[in-house]
Amino acid sequence: MGVPAPGIPAALALLQFGDSMFPVGTFAFSGGLESAVQHGVVRDRAGLEEFTRTVTHLAATGDGVALLAGYRGAAAGDLNRIRDADEAVHLRKLSEEARTMTVRMGRKLAEAASRIVGDSMLDRRLRQAATDRVPVTYPVALGVLFAGLGLSEQDAFAAHQYGVAVMVLGAALRLMRVDHLDTQAILYATAASAAQDYQRAAGAHLDDMATFGPVIDVLAAAHVHAHVRMFMN
Amino acid sequence: MIELDDAPELAPYHDEPAQLPSAAPGKVGLLRLAFEHRAGRTVLADLYRQAPLLAQRALYWDPEMPELACVYVISTSGGILQGDRYRIDVSLGAGARALVTTQAATKIQAMDANYASQIQRLDLAENAYLECLPEPVVPYRHSRFITHTTVTLPESATLLYAETLLPGRTHHGGGEVFQYDLFSSTLRAGRPHGPDLFVDKFVVAPGRWPTDRLGVLGDFQVLGSAVLLTAPGCARRVFDRTPPSWDGDVPLAAGVSRLPNDAGLMYRVLGMETEPVRAKVREFCALARREAVGRGVPPVPAWR
Repeated sequence: MGVPAPGIPAALALLQFGDSMFPVGTFAFSGGLESAVQHGVVRDRAGLEEFTRTVTHLAATGDGVALLAGYRGAAAGDLNRIRDADEAVHLRKLSEEARTMTVRMGRKLAEAASRIVGDSMLDRRLRQAATDRVPVTYPVALGVLFAGLGLSEQDAFAAHQYGVAVMVLGAALRLMRVDHLDTQAILYATAASAAQDYQRAAGAHLDDMATFGPVIDVLAAAHVHAHVRMFMN
Repeated sequence: MIELDDAPELAPYHDEPAQLPSAAPGKVGLLRLAFEHRAGRTVLADLYRQAPLLAQRALYWDPEMPELACVYVISTSGGILQGDRYRIDVSLGAGARALVTTQAATKIQAMDANYASQIQRLDLAENAYLECLPEPVVPYRHSRFITHTTVTLPESATLLYAETLLPGRTHHGGGEVFQYDLFSSTLRAGRPHGPDLFVDKFVVAPGRWPTDRLGVLGDFQVLGSAVLLTAPGCARRVFDRTPPSWDGDVPLAAGVSRLPNDAGLMYRVLGMETEPVRAKVREFCALARREAVGRGVPPVPAWR
């Protein structure tokens, strides 16, 4: 007879919905890396690690705050709070590629979750968004989904940080001379700051969401105009 | 009513100065400017000021737009000091056209206690046109500054708001670059009766998160930003005529993005020196003015 293992379903849910293979279309985006490589901002493994740190830091101080707001709104059964978090994300995506990414991945996550886990707060938000000017956004959808799955908000935050890093590093394999061991080592190294990032995001309000990545902003603007591109951002 | 004191980035800076306490008389600068369109030109119909902020009267110095009411915002204290609290309200009636600028660079003085804050409101009525083009901002060593700007405008109005943020007193002493403690900036725009259009909040705290990180500022030091809020057709024309540029040798990089909710455009310029960045920002502003109101811009005076 085995001993009861209540942690196993949670671990499996975290692995499944936090997986980089989960079909939300992450592979189509590079988090700004494509343009950064084209313009010589990122040239080597060290540059890739630093760039990944920047992107994950910006995700933590911006989207990460909304993710937690979405999670808490779902936990309280409050659709308005979820919508407020979605709106906060959308209003702050000042580049159209960033908007496309968050809206497309948010919708795909909500649709997939609807198929897999059935009716949920995320499903309700998705139906509301169909006739509403505020779209479902990816970080908020992830927070809402994790609340529904009974996972912790720390799990949701961690999965989001992981997803952002994996997006950049997955794109790096196709854009740069780095191998899978390099990118895994970077993923492991950049994860070290996530706990501290969570502490800061956990106490922040939607109005506190802030980012500062002017080079990434300018690279995103250049990418919109680029004729040859592999990724959507 | 916007309250900035509770912003988390200010948490370490609530100690009181040894000099005048924060927000004491003499440290609360108020400025209210109301522009109205009257008989073919714009007048400054209402002016209220309280030192250390000062504005005198509207001048009409732009030969390309003789109807444009131009106002200098002046600081009577030689810069922004610890404990200062500024509040600036600018409103434009229907069809009014105004330019608000500053007399000199905004110097955020060195601080050893507390912080300085600025709350701005810009309200534009139908077909109003406002250029808000202050001189560059220079945050000194250990300065802490938080600024929050709320813009309300209908689709028929145009706002052009451009700012240049320097890394500090680049040539002061051994060079004072990114030695400031905090620069926090929020720009929020919305339609008169809702909804919100976009929010741009950035927090720079070089001691806590280095600005020379790849993707942040990297090798660049000067950040120019221009926001053009205007009707979608005008925004599209300006967007189409503003190709991105990236010159790693100068270095100078610039690019324009389309804001959410068809609000308009955000143009960002990065450079190492102030003048090339300002030149790019001016170029964008000239294009924006041409597309928005069909006018040119006069040559830059030698003293600016």
